[in-house]
Amino acid sequence: MKKLISIFVLLVSFAFTSNSYSKTEIHWWYGNSGFLGDVIIEIANRFNESQDEYMVIPTGKGSYEDNMAATIAAFRAGDQPHYSQVYDAGAAIMVAQVKNGVVIGFEEMAEKYGIDVDADNYIPGIKNFYADGDGKMIGVPFNSSTCLMYANMDILNEVGIEEVPKTYEEFEGMAQKILDAGYIPLLQSHSPWIWTENFFSRHNLLMTDGNNGYDAVPTKTLFADTEAFVYHWTKVKEWYEKGYYGYKGRAWGDNQAPFTNGEAAFWFGSAASFGGMKGVLPNFTTNPIPYWDSVTGGKEYPTFIGGAANWILNGHTEEEYKGLAKFIEFMGSPEMDLYYHNMTGYAAVTKGGIELAETINFYRASPYHKAVGDQLGLEGSTIPGGYRAGNWPQIREVIYENVEPMLNGDITVEKALSNMDKGAAKLLKQFAKTL
Amino acid sequence: MKKVQFKSNYSQYFFLAPQLLILLIFLYWPIIQTFKDAFTMQDAFGFGSQFAGFDNFLFIFSDPSYFTAFKFTIIYSFVITVITGSIGLLLAVQANKVMHGKSAYKTLLIWPYAIAPAVVGVMANYFFSERYGLLHHLFNNLWGFNWYENVFDAYIYVIIAGSWKQISANFIFFLAGLQAIQKTVIEASIIDCKSNIRRFWTITFPLLMPTTFFLIIINITYAFFDTFGIIDTTTIGAPGSETKTLVYKAYIDGFKGLDLGSAGAQSIMMMIIVLVITIFQFRYIEGKIHYN
Repeated sequence: MKKLISIFVLLVSFAFTSNSYSKTEIHWWYGNSGFLGDVIIEIANRFNESQDEYMVIPTGKGSYEDNMAATIAAFRAGDQPHYSQVYDAGAAIMVAQVKNGVVIGFEEMAEKYGIDVDADNYIPGIKNFYADGDGKMIGVPFNSSTCLMYANMDILNEVGIEEVPKTYEEFEGMAQKILDAGYIPLLQSHSPWIWTENFFSRHNLLMTDGNNGYDAVPTKTLFADTEAFVYHWTKVKEWYEKGYYGYKGRAWGDNQAPFTNGEAAFWFGSAASFGGMKGVLPNFTTNPIPYWDSVTGGKEYPTFIGGAANWILNGHTEEEYKGLAKFIEFMGSPEMDLYYHNMTGYAAVTKGGIELAETINFYRASPYHKAVGDQLGLEGSTIPGGYRAGNWPQIREVIYENVEPMLNGDITVEKALSNMDKGAAKLLKQFAKTL
Repeated sequence: MKKVQFKSNYSQYFFLAPQLLILLIFLYWPIIQTFKDAFTMQDAFGFGSQFAGFDNFLFIFSDPSYFTAFKFTIIYSFVITVITGSIGLLLAVQANKVMHGKSAYKTLLIWPYAIAPAVVGVMANYFFSERYGLLHHLFNNLWGFNWYENVFDAYIYVIIAGSWKQISANFIFFLAGLQAIQKTVIEASIIDCKSNIRRFWTITFPLLMPTTFFLIIINITYAFFDTFGIIDTTTIGAPGSETKTLVYKAYIDGFKGLDLGSAGAQSIMMMIIVLVITIFQFRYIEGKIHYN
């Protein structure tokens, strides 16, 4: 009995000591996994080691969709994290939640708790993507990517192709050669993101009415009405039938795997796929995504920012927000920005980070990292740098649902695109009702 | 027999309370919430909530992929019920005949029942992987298998994935049913009829009818609701929305698409469908069954 009591006393005293040392906890939820998730944990660890007042606790919730659903469910239950990573397709929903007091905008936070990083320190294109109608930055830019073309240089050397294609016309010209050598010429991992949303941005075309939702709440998508888009998918279908393009289902990884295994010449993926591929595939390059020369007349336009931002959620104590402000400051520092850029391949999001990269001649040492900034930094677009359309995760689902029957020949390209428009219009109407 | 009576009039409520509380929290409260969601229009975070009448229902009825999901769910539950029931019955009859190592056979056949649907899906994923999948290669050699775009191939994929584990459930119940049949009945029938097959269909199978009826309901419920994990880990509804079950569609719209109104309306539709099927079964099939 005495022994028991002494153990009890010991335990209690432990509990108190750990309590007296306890730091203010800040919860950060994220939707990356694998290598990208590890980097997020590393960032939190570095912050925790850099000071001893606050502790950031990162929690992975699965995919982007999973994390968004988890964050919403947690908010409805009054148990939300302080900071949550929400992806591009959810940006319209999150920006709309500032007025309901769910989300605290970055600029409001910076004013109240003194964040030493100015909103203008973030690259304009990225800042605007996560800003509200008045241009005030709401989400805090974090992992910003865009779609890039990865090329297996060993295959290209083998079949005697010297330069990677800049345009789809050039790709079409070399595809047969690659196919004849026994390789899949082209794969891509995300039909809605790469070949729909970013098809429009890459060719300087509007995707929805209401100026991509920036001027007015959009009521319809312009898929079937855009001649170039119909042309593109007609070509894709033709390529699929000839074997120039291989479709491996909806799973990102299933489409990436043949490329990583050296069976495909080109693969369209995210700038951030780079980190996981380095060291696996010996000789690859990252390149801007091709465009149709016939559509743009030889001009190149920037693609949309992809990836995600972190959003500050309401309902916590002043002390915790002070800690979060410190953490945002930490992540916005040039060193951390460049660290993340280097590790993952995501774009550097701060001007400080880019300057630092130039000072240390980063891109000469690692040319892979250059394509993302080059593509996003293109000028001359007349369309907005993003789209503000609600229910977009479901619209992506509608796009997928029509791509497959189009490829297998159940429906024509025109029919598939008009189905997408119809499905999207209904979802946009539904979203407009909740505003 | 002496009547046992509690003295207090309230103590029965005390003993019932834990059970009622669980039902209330985990069953009735969600149902009420679902009704609330189905008849309101709200944004993802639950703001801007307003009464929408039947708008959410009209919305799903104007959605072609809802009918695709409906069609698939009906086909899927029918095929799964037939396949798992017949293979389960066949295995049970055979295992019941075995003289040596009976419990070894039984254990091995029951095992898959303990595996969670999501795990079954991941395993099926390997078998149907284009890279290293045995079944993928087998079917590909037979007719050029490609579930990414071919609806029929995708059906085969999810049907095999969905049936495998449920065969075990059917096996257990059929085996228990067979062992409950009185020996004397079987022995008497052996004297009257030489044909094994004829004896099975005229004596054994009718005596198994209560089990069969029970399993039909269980299998349909399984195909409707429990295959969620299998769909999510295999085809995720592709190609098109051809292999989405109603439950999976409600999940996608509610949790990925964050449209709780539509998901709520779909849940209520599902409730009605299951209700209709069950009423039909009890009215028209159960009448033909003789319980001992």
